[in-house]
Amino acid sequence: MVDLPPDPISMTIQIMTSPLFLKIAIFPGLASIGIIAALLTWLDRKITARVQLRIGPQYVSPLGGILQSFADLIKLAFKELIIPEKADRFFFLLAPIFGMVLGAGLIGLIPFSPETLISNLEVGLPVFLAFVTLSPTLVLLAGWSANSKYPFIGGLRSLFQQTGYEIPLWLSSIGVVMMAGSFNLSKIVQAQSTGYVLFGVHWWFIVPQILGAIIFLVTSVAEQERIPFDLPEAEPEIIMGWQAEYPGFLFLAAQGAGFIKLYAFSALFTTIYLGGYLGPGPLPPLFWSIFKTTVMVVVVILLRGAFGRVRLDQLLRYGWTLLLGLAIANIAITYFLIEGIPAI
Amino acid sequence: MTDPAFLVIAAATVIGAILAIEARDLVYGAAALGITFLGVAGLFILLDATYVAAFQIAVYIGAVVVLILFTVMLVGPVKGEAPIEHRRTSLMTAILVSLMLGIGGSLVSSNAFPGVDACGASCDLQLLSQTLLLGSGSNGGYAIQLELLSFVLVAAVIGALTLAKTERKA
Repeated sequence: MVDLPPDPISMTIQIMTSPLFLKIAIFPGLASIGIIAALLTWLDRKITARVQLRIGPQYVSPLGGILQSFADLIKLAFKELIIPEKADRFFFLLAPIFGMVLGAGLIGLIPFSPETLISNLEVGLPVFLAFVTLSPTLVLLAGWSANSKYPFIGGLRSLFQQTGYEIPLWLSSIGVVMMAGSFNLSKIVQAQSTGYVLFGVHWWFIVPQILGAIIFLVTSVAEQERIPFDLPEAEPEIIMGWQAEYPGFLFLAAQGAGFIKLYAFSALFTTIYLGGYLGPGPLPPLFWSIFKTTVMVVVVILLRGAFGRVRLDQLLRYGWTLLLGLAIANIAITYFLIEGIPAI
Repeated sequence: MTDPAFLVIAAATVIGAILAIEARDLVYGAAALGITFLGVAGLFILLDATYVAAFQIAVYIGAVVVLILFTVMLVGPVKGEAPIEHRRTSLMTAILVSLMLGIGGSLVSSNAFPGVDACGASCDLQLLSQTLLLGSGSNGGYAIQLELLSFVLVAAVIGALTLAKTERKA
């Protein structure tokens, strides 16, 4: 008997139909991330338009212009790639593409149902937040490499902003880790089915961690560079900031990275505060996680319609005083919720 | 048989470190330093210490590299200046650094990693600090080496002060 090497075609088919490959390629992986980012672009424009009593995209497709962002995608992808003459080509090309890859990597950590997850890391939450800290560095490099005034200002703003929100973001998520007793995102979801009991009912972490959830929401909106914290882009002030010089496909990558981050952070908020894939009734877990993520996306988009842009000094002051103080207070409150108030 | 993943990550770490010093453009140097830190984080992941890797990325790239980039972009000319050649100083530095590395290496290798492949799957900060400071069993831990490592910080502070001083004179 001679062991024949496996037939390359059947091996390819075997790899392509394996569950992990399907998850990475289709859902929750690459194909779905692309489609969802395009749909979120449309949702963002449509909801903001309705808030401002406009109609928003409507001509492309009968369904309220839902295909508008796909049309824009095709248009941008085929535009000529003009790179400024004095730009630093290496970082100019690298930053938006690497940013998009980074955003897509975040989705791989989210458990959309007990089976639908790509990577079940024991320390998923810190790894998610650690990857997120890389993006202001990329924004700074992108802004610097364009060798132009407004992009550079945008890049520096991004870094200033990061010093304001980064520490409250990490601290606010610690309360969840304390209650769940784990950094693993799947275990955090499971802990919410048996976790905090009040009036004889198991509550999701949004109830005992309401303060932490609010801080997390505020700081994560700052991380996503969305209004009211879109200082690095700030279209009326510094004409899209660090993205100002980006042409066609690279602008698509820079914008797409922002919407992928919106998706990833909404999914993370759902996972750690809203019980992830848990939900009542016979509906499958996947439905609940997608439904709650959509609700969070809409909430974050509505913030854009409701608030004006804060100034940089306001953001830094609130970040270092109010948000940091409340985040530390939240840790103390969480301690007493777990251990009970000591009898004096 | 060496793990190919280890070889790739170790090569990236070392090449990044060399580029960080040798790059003509300070911004590229800082970015290469970021690659070195990513490589170190990768080594931690290979040792099953994902938690330490996450904080390696968050602290060293999210804070240290960012701070260096920030300083380079705000203080210096936007495109980095040409490196200053001081042959005698660099020779002295080379001798001193190799001396330090020699002492440190001999201290580490005399009781390096006795029968422990890193700290296994259950590696966490508690275990790491225990191993580093208190030591396990017969060997005396790595307190001395850890103290020596802190000289790096002292060197960085002295270097920063020197740089700041010379700049004011000029």
